[in-house]
Amino acid sequence: MTSAAGILSYNTVVVAVGVAAVGFAAGVVGSLCVLRKRALAGDAAAHATLVGVACAFLATGRRDLATLLAGALVAACAGLGMLVIVRRFTRTRDDAATALVIGVSFGLGITLVSGLPAWGYANSAGLEQFLLGHTAALTARDAWLLGAVAIVAVAAVAAILKEATLVAFDAAFAAATGWPVSGIDYAIVGLVALMVVAGLPAVGAVLVTALVVIPPVAARFWTDRVGTMVVLSGLIGLAAAAVGVAVSATRPGLATGPLVVIAAAAAFAFSFLCAPHRGWIARRAEAARGLTVRRGDSDGETGR
Amino acid sequence: MILRIQKMIFDFPKNEVAGGGFRPWNPAARWIVFAAWGLIVLAAGCGGREPPGAADGGRLRVVATTTVVADLVRQVGGDRVTVDCLMAPGIDPHSYKPTPRDADRLAGADLVVASGLHLEGKLTDLLERLGRSRPVVLVGDSLPEADLITAGGGLFDPHVWFDARLWSHGVAPVAEALATADPAHASAHRDRAAAYAARLVSLDERLRTQIATIPEGRRVLVTAHDAFRYFGRAYGIEVVGVQGTSTESEAGLADINRLVDLVVSRGIPAVFIETSVSDRSVAALREGATARGHDVGVGGTLYSDSLGGPGSGAETLEAALEANTSAIVEALADRSAPRAEDAP
Repeated sequence: MTSAAGILSYNTVVVAVGVAAVGFAAGVVGSLCVLRKRALAGDAAAHATLVGVACAFLATGRRDLATLLAGALVAACAGLGMLVIVRRFTRTRDDAATALVIGVSFGLGITLVSGLPAWGYANSAGLEQFLLGHTAALTARDAWLLGAVAIVAVAAVAAILKEATLVAFDAAFAAATGWPVSGIDYAIVGLVALMVVAGLPAVGAVLVTALVVIPPVAARFWTDRVGTMVVLSGLIGLAAAAVGVAVSATRPGLATGPLVVIAAAAAFAFSFLCAPHRGWIARRAEAARGLTVRRGDSDGETGR
Repeated sequence: MILRIQKMIFDFPKNEVAGGGFRPWNPAARWIVFAAWGLIVLAAGCGGREPPGAADGGRLRVVATTTVVADLVRQVGGDRVTVDCLMAPGIDPHSYKPTPRDADRLAGADLVVASGLHLEGKLTDLLERLGRSRPVVLVGDSLPEADLITAGGGLFDPHVWFDARLWSHGVAPVAEALATADPAHASAHRDRAAAYAARLVSLDERLRTQIATIPEGRRVLVTAHDAFRYFGRAYGIEVVGVQGTSTESEAGLADINRLVDLVVSRGIPAVFIETSVSDRSVAALREGATARGHDVGVGGTLYSDSLGGPGSGAETLEAALEANTSAIVEALADRSAPRAEDAP
């Protein structure tokens, strides 16, 4: 009843389609983000989303996914804006500014979400599911929404891939030759915010950064070409989503979101060990043969 | 210029090295941090309700945790008690976190009555500490253990009030606590308690007869979380919850698939929504069943971990149990179940 029929049941297919679309797009967008060294910006955006979910509910009184995610997107952008402001107008370090935004926005979000029922908004039950995700309850409309967001994000990456690659590897040169470096940076970070929001119903605010960061880092082990890495990263995200959904459909009591992240982490571990040239085993073998081991060459270094 | 700003925004660590010096409390940073802080404090402060006035004419101040036990205390204490209920109608007691104001309200109480059996999961420690300085009645824990349903991990299912006869055994401990705290009116408390327990027992009979009118094969109650096992045992209806006993656990995909199978294969006409639990899992379940050619209605909203608010007609446990039972009978007995529109 659970294993064979469960894997192909309607609900499984709906959830698989929605999560796989998000997994693929998050992997694609994540590649740019990781190459440009903005991985933690996604985390700041993710932790800010909870405020947006709560505020969207307060403003509209509705609990459908599109409304709440729209609120989450606004909040994610506001969180990133706050990050930019803190870095721009104070002498706070990059890491400290990110930690500040994560802490403040997450604290505010938890205050709102956990406080709403106590303040008489009794029908706010379920908002806290955005904290850890609630994949199994996706409906077909939700899956269509996530699929549309994924297509938009992948198309946007395809459109700016060349410019973004240049900025990621040599920002100074890009600026000197007249490319709008900050515009491209904002586009990358904006896309990350979009994917973080799309990933919320699947894995929740706490884990969603993993979808954006783990697949590209795993893909990086296998290739030095940006185009290959972007596609590979998307496929790793997609595979992780499919595996996570399939496993959670086989046994009762397994939440889907965390399984997707664990599957992505397994892909990372495999890449780390087994990839040719950059993998641990390959490097040990090369070292044993007395070859020079070059690590991190052309690894998205910004020019200086 | 743009390049400069971009560098300042995105390459900050380098800037800082160039500029030397580290000023952690630049005015702008201070402003941002204080503004965020202020918002949090404001948001936290808006929440609480004023504690009831101290001028209560010698009446006992009883703090009850859930609406269900608050009703019990009102029924037994009558006009001799002022009941302050921590959780408003519609609140999920499994995930309710006490605020500092709640701790004050509890500390100012002559008597604290809670549902117990770890229903108020996040209040358990607080109640235990309060128990050292003042009388605390845990109604569920006072019931005969043999009548409780185990829920794994050495715990019992806390939703005991859905079995009206079982709940009637919890009336006496509350009456005794009130009598001890208010000895001048001890007999009045005991009289009201006896009358209330008798009402619960006759309600119990009525509910059983009503459920028995549902055709036997369709006596299946599918709800968002597993709150109705006592109800099912007492009144002879199979209960299936999308989530586990606590609302804290999440329904996995396999759980939803299993329920879709069950609903389709048994031809169950309606599933139910609870006031204090998210309805997203139920929506996914209905969609899965529709895709297999079996339309499932929503059999209305059941009162589960919370009674209705003022004006709902289900402010007391008796009224809520009656309302639940007639909603269940109506949705399951009629072959062409009334199909409510999608939940909001």
